[in-house]
Amino acid sequence: MHERPETHENRAPCAGSRRARRQRPACALLLLCLALLAVVWIGPAVLLPGAHGERAATGSQPASANPPAHATREAHASQSAPANPGAHPTQEPHASQPAPGTPGKPAPSHAGHAAAGHAADEHGAHEAHPELPNLIGVLYRAVAGEEGAAPGWLVALHHFEDLFFALLAAGLLILIVRLAIRRMNPRDPVAPQGRLQTAVELLFGGFRDFVLGILGPEGARYVPFLGTLFLYIWCMNLFGLVPLMKSPTAVLNTTGALAVCVFGYVQWTGMRRLGPLGYLRHLAGDPQDLVGWILVPLMLPLHIISEFAKPVSLALRLFGNILGEDVLLGVFAGLGVAALAFSGLPAGLPLHLPFILLALLMSTVQALVFTLLSTIYIMQVLPHDASHASEEVGPQAAAEEGTPAA
Amino acid sequence: MEPSTALGFALPIGLGIAALGSGLGLGKAVSAAMEAMGRQPEAAAKIQTAMVIGAAFIEALTIYAFVSVFVLQGKI
Repeated sequence: MHERPETHENRAPCAGSRRARRQRPACALLLLCLALLAVVWIGPAVLLPGAHGERAATGSQPASANPPAHATREAHASQSAPANPGAHPTQEPHASQPAPGTPGKPAPSHAGHAAAGHAADEHGAHEAHPELPNLIGVLYRAVAGEEGAAPGWLVALHHFEDLFFALLAAGLLILIVRLAIRRMNPRDPVAPQGRLQTAVELLFGGFRDFVLGILGPEGARYVPFLGTLFLYIWCMNLFGLVPLMKSPTAVLNTTGALAVCVFGYVQWTGMRRLGPLGYLRHLAGDPQDLVGWILVPLMLPLHIISEFAKPVSLALRLFGNILGEDVLLGVFAGLGVAALAFSGLPAGLPLHLPFILLALLMSTVQALVFTLLSTIYIMQVLPHDASHASEEVGPQAAAEEGTPAA
Repeated sequence: MEPSTALGFALPIGLGIAALGSGLGLGKAVSAAMEAMGRQPEAAAKIQTAMVIGAAFIEALTIYAFVSVFVLQGKI
């Protein structure tokens, strides 16, 4: 018989232990939520006047006024299958379910797809991409209806819904960090930490090692900017996977703004660290010898164009990936709704589930790539002796701390 | 030929060529990563990180084609 000292560490969490008891309802709740999400979409179809409008239209040219053919196809496809069984072979994936089902849990509506097509080309700013509807869009369409008579604040909120979600992401991150550091006391660094603080510090420490592995020890001053960039982009990307929310990064405005911020910061850092003359030399390709100086008229425009191409590629890469995954989710969710269209239920199969997992991975990877590229651009404008020193120090530091070198 | 017909031909073919290119590029990158991991299994985590980041760069070019298809597909 082995006698283990009955210390706190040695006691395995048995079924009745406090930690297991705390975890069980949380796990059950999570499983229940996932099961609900996975089995059924119940759309508040009765709330959306758009669905009523398409049901009433007999189907020949209900949406002939809509110029984009995409929206027209969506409006055609939204004829409910029981109402017009032979009128329109609904090959489009965005069939809506305008059956008067009771709105169950507040899940996104797929009648919203057709209404999205309608509303989208009323406000020509948006293209008619099939996307999962978000809370503001649902509210707007529920209140406004066909004639667009919504209160002014709702119209403005709908117009700026990306900005709203971007600010929400920022507010959420601020809230989480404020909660984490609530009990922190700088005079007493070994005070017991909360779990949230430990988790946040884990994330921060890992990211800091990652950045210092590229920029060297003097890159610590850039860690706040890059870390904020990474967390903010990651949070915004993940918003698209939450029901009734939308990724602000799925519009070019947000990603363009982020890229412009990075561009400005990188150029400012370069000018500050290299000095004005050094910055111009850097743009001219750092000519060392006669050949270098001869090639300056070639290298200077090339470098200037590439400096402008960097934020463009950053913005387009993030925008394309996140919009692509959002549209993928929307299309497959619509397919799932169309799959059950024969039954007339306001429900659909969760065909988009595997793509949510893909989107989780891609959101993280794209945030990481954006941040990594920004780090590399900063590394490129730092004084070259410093960046060479960081390359020497980097492998040593990596060997000591085991940091992942990019 | 109308513009919409031309677009109807060109967009899927263009996207297919972009997908082909990215498939070839990603295949090379991932196979090199696999080889490196096979040679040095203890460095597998670092190699995997670098592989994922490289794959994101290679895929970005396909994403540009994807985005341009989306921009143009309303005109079909």
